[in-house]
Amino acid sequence: MIPRGRDLLRAWARTFAVQGSWNYRTMIAGGVTFALLPLLRRIHAGDPVALAAALARHLRPFNAHPYLSGLAVGALARAELEGVPPERLERFREALHGPLGSVGDRAVWATWRPVCLLAAIAAWAIGVPALAAAGGFLVVYNAGHLWLRAWGFRTGWQAGLAVGGRMRGGILERVPARLAPLTPFLLGLVTVLLTGRFGGPPVGVGVATDPLVGLALPAVAVAALAAFAAHRRPGLLGRTAIGWVILAVVAPWLFAAGGA
Amino acid sequence: MPPGDVLLGPGGFPAWLALAALGGVLAMDGISWPQAMVSRPLVAGTLGGLAGGDAAAGLLVGAVLEVLFLRYPPFGAARYPDGGPAGLVAGVAFALAGEGSPTGLAAATAAGWTAGWMGSASVQLLRRINERLVGRPERLAGDGRRLEIRHRIGIRLDFARGVLLTAGLLVPAVLFVRVAAAPPGGGSSAAAVLPLTIAVALSAGAAARSLPDGGRGRLLLFAGLAAGATFVAVFA
Repeated sequence: MIPRGRDLLRAWARTFAVQGSWNYRTMIAGGVTFALLPLLRRIHAGDPVALAAALARHLRPFNAHPYLSGLAVGALARAELEGVPPERLERFREALHGPLGSVGDRAVWATWRPVCLLAAIAAWAIGVPALAAAGGFLVVYNAGHLWLRAWGFRTGWQAGLAVGGRMRGGILERVPARLAPLTPFLLGLVTVLLTGRFGGPPVGVGVATDPLVGLALPAVAVAALAAFAAHRRPGLLGRTAIGWVILAVVAPWLFAAGGA
Repeated sequence: MPPGDVLLGPGGFPAWLALAALGGVLAMDGISWPQAMVSRPLVAGTLGGLAGGDAAAGLLVGAVLEVLFLRYPPFGAARYPDGGPAGLVAGVAFALAGEGSPTGLAAATAAGWTAGWMGSASVQLLRRINERLVGRPERLAGDGRRLEIRHRIGIRLDFARGVLLTAGLLVPAVLFVRVAAAPPGGGSSAAAVLPLTIAVALSAGAAARSLPDGGRGRLLLFAGLAAGATFVAVFA
């Protein structure tokens, strides 16, 4: 039987809970099968043996990025509907397993999330109110999150076993490639702006201390981060130089604070 | 009323309970449902700050934890700090008892860091429990009802994990920050945030080094540092 729109919606909603039973043995297989259930029950309606066999197939170890798990759920449900032989379906599951993890990790955890988070911190550090910065992060980040989940599920359901072709060279590769350069830039920017807040903020409310420290701490941060990023493992000379830079920046302030 | 007594005083029990429940929701968001990133320290810290009466203070400590945790992405089965309860505990503690002092910030960050890794240990434990719940496919086949029940139990256990973690760490964190924010010598020293500054810089450096962009990435990192330094120099 062909699943109805309501079944598809229920399956998609369940993909949000795909990591609910994450474990070291079968990883998200339980979650993926949990999401597949409304569709499998419709596809194998009236045939409990076929339903049990399908469940046994999908409960075998499987992993994917949670946001792209819908792509697997859609594609696997389509394959079940088309009566793809179990051996072929198992090969397809194994082929999906790696790319859905690595593509999702790169696109979301390594690019989209840090870019949104760092941009929110930078916005707050230059004067955006705290609630607006945190709220803005949630709105922007989740716009991408929800789009990816919806796109993945729809693409999987439409393409079935041909889903690999839709992933190759598509938006999941293009967007992270364009956004990736923002991450190191924002990391540098945020490190300085945030540590500047430790010593008295340039804008708004923060930790109140000596205003001189408002310059000294970011300077220390710049020196430490630049030295760390520039060298894989600083030698004795490098470590001594870093120490002197930090001391030179901090010592005047420490003396001033001691005398006050 | 001494700082933190809103939570520690006789009328503080309902607030403690509500914050523990919020900790459960945040823990669940990070793993089980729905990964909307309310559980990031930045957001959880702001919520904690809001509960403690100072959203900006909560965001500050949340942002520090965010940079410190940035180098631990949740790839595959990796271990990573649980940022939701950690950010909440640190945000509440700093807003309630930190008094905007550098030592309070350092102490709240330390409390959040500890909570984050304790949360990580509890996630490992939950994954082992889940293994018993759904790790044997042969016991779950059939019509799928058993799977649904056990999967939902896993989600509820995740919520309970966050509640227990937050409930257990909230009061010690507030007490710790209260003591740290008012050192016996009087006043507060910005030297307390020097190690924190270096920790933030090195964490950012470690996160930057793990990026795949190589030399170009390093150039962009330096460009970001220069832009930040210019902003601070102009507006400080």
